[in-house]
Amino acid sequence: MKFFTAFRKKSPWILHYNAGSCNGCDIEILAALGPKFDLERFGVINTGNPKQSDIFLVTGPVTYRSRERLVELYSQIPEPKVVIAVGSCTATGGVFRGMYNVEDGIDQYIPVDVYVPGCASTPQLIIDAIVKALEILETKSKEIEKPFKLFGAIAMVGNKLSRLNMATRVKHDEI
Amino acid sequence: MKKTIQIPLGSQHISLLEPIRFKFECENEKIIGVDADVGFVHRGVELACTRSFEFKQVGYVVARVCGLCAITHSLSYTLAVEKLLGYEANDRIKYLRMLMVELDRIHSHMLCLAHTAENAGFEALFMQIMADRELVMDLQEAISGNRVQFDFIAIGGVNRDLTPELTSLIHKNLTLLSEKIDTLIGLFDNNWSLSLKYKGVGVLSLEDAYTYNALGPLARATGLATDVRVETSDFPYEAIGYKMVLESTGDIYARNFVRLREIVNSIAMCKNIADNLPSGEILEKTKGKPKGEAVVRVEAPRGELFYLVRGNGGNMLERVRIKTPTFSGIPAMMEVFKGSEYADAPAILASFDPCMSCTAK
Repeated sequence: MKFFTAFRKKSPWILHYNAGSCNGCDIEILAALGPKFDLERFGVINTGNPKQSDIFLVTGPVTYRSRERLVELYSQIPEPKVVIAVGSCTATGGVFRGMYNVEDGIDQYIPVDVYVPGCASTPQLIIDAIVKALEILETKSKEIEKPFKLFGAIAMVGNKLSRLNMATRVKHDEI
Repeated sequence: MKKTIQIPLGSQHISLLEPIRFKFECENEKIIGVDADVGFVHRGVELACTRSFEFKQVGYVVARVCGLCAITHSLSYTLAVEKLLGYEANDRIKYLRMLMVELDRIHSHMLCLAHTAENAGFEALFMQIMADRELVMDLQEAISGNRVQFDFIAIGGVNRDLTPELTSLIHKNLTLLSEKIDTLIGLFDNNWSLSLKYKGVGVLSLEDAYTYNALGPLARATGLATDVRVETSDFPYEAIGYKMVLESTGDIYARNFVRLREIVNSIAMCKNIADNLPSGEILEKTKGKPKGEAVVRVEAPRGELFYLVRGNGGNMLERVRIKTPTFSGIPAMMEVFKGSEYADAPAILASFDPCMSCTAK
């Protein structure tokens, strides 16, 4: 497991999805991967395959038709994964907020770890976001490696034994 | 037995920036039928322009229709509103607007060339063109303050002025760029492996270009002489040395060459503008509210962009209609796909430079 963690830290692969943006942030992601800003020197590769990716770069406020595809792609990325919302419209809806076909930001559908501001956000900001995402990725993979109990502690709900809690996975010290 | 198979491309695909889904009907390796689905990025900008934004703000909203040709969108809208207000911009404003539009055309064409190279399997050339493109991006950032989505054009003028330092920077960067474009022209012309991917692939004939209403570089690569820059008289393009670029073969090679030679022409025009900038105010006050109907056509990097703006004398507009170049180009695109190999599909698609954000709005 340690073996793979080291690789994940050194070369995080990204998956890029356009959920209805104006292409401004998309070309800035391309520019960030290009020679001047050169994200690829950190081992970042833009993959088309969600099953090989660690970081999910999303641009654009979620449109009505792209939300299904967004959640599908998110669920296909293996754990641990980090979601970066690139651009102000991805974070809140931005200038598109309140338009009839727009869902005002991707955090309505999937959990977001890093928000990148700007319309369009510059390659420098995107690089910063990916460096931040690497920290989060590390803590997340450490969290995954922690051992866990299959059955939770016995809990009483209304003088009765709760079977619900016993079958779910235990989170930290909640129960 | 079923003879054809259906292969989808998209909506999320590594070689495409934007979500578009193609359904190719293939017989062995040949594509015989295409079905395109472009509505993944529909946001409803047209309705929002008339319901939730005032006419002074709409110029900045329609810029967000597309990130690549944002300046052309805001320019067309501003020209339409200025027609309704009865305002005629002075020469300095016109020249500054032309400068930014031509810089935008250079960077858009270079991105398309890079994409075509990448989709033909030439990753190193993609990187090289992206590196050269940064020269233009630096210029845009220096002039307008942002790399893409610069809100440069306002109703009644432009938001920033050109200083003497910027003029010298324009000359320095564009001279560097024109050397690099010359090497690129040699590469695209003489490279043997690129010629295998480009020459004779994805051919659109002149008759088909007429029939299916092709525009922009797609039409000019077939020899169809159509360019809004010479058809309208909103801007003095002849005065700064505009030359129409025409090729005759209509394949990917010709489309790339139209783009490359247009970049050369645009560089010369930008240098001319920087040298011969007239004096005057850059932002003038306009009076009144838009009333009536105006139609404006502007040449975007991909072809003709059409705007219709109707106002009734109030703060809100009645109707904003946007017809974008890719929308008109889709029938011609479909025609080109039929009969070509499936393996060439990404390269052909990139050579059209489709912009789905524009199309679906």
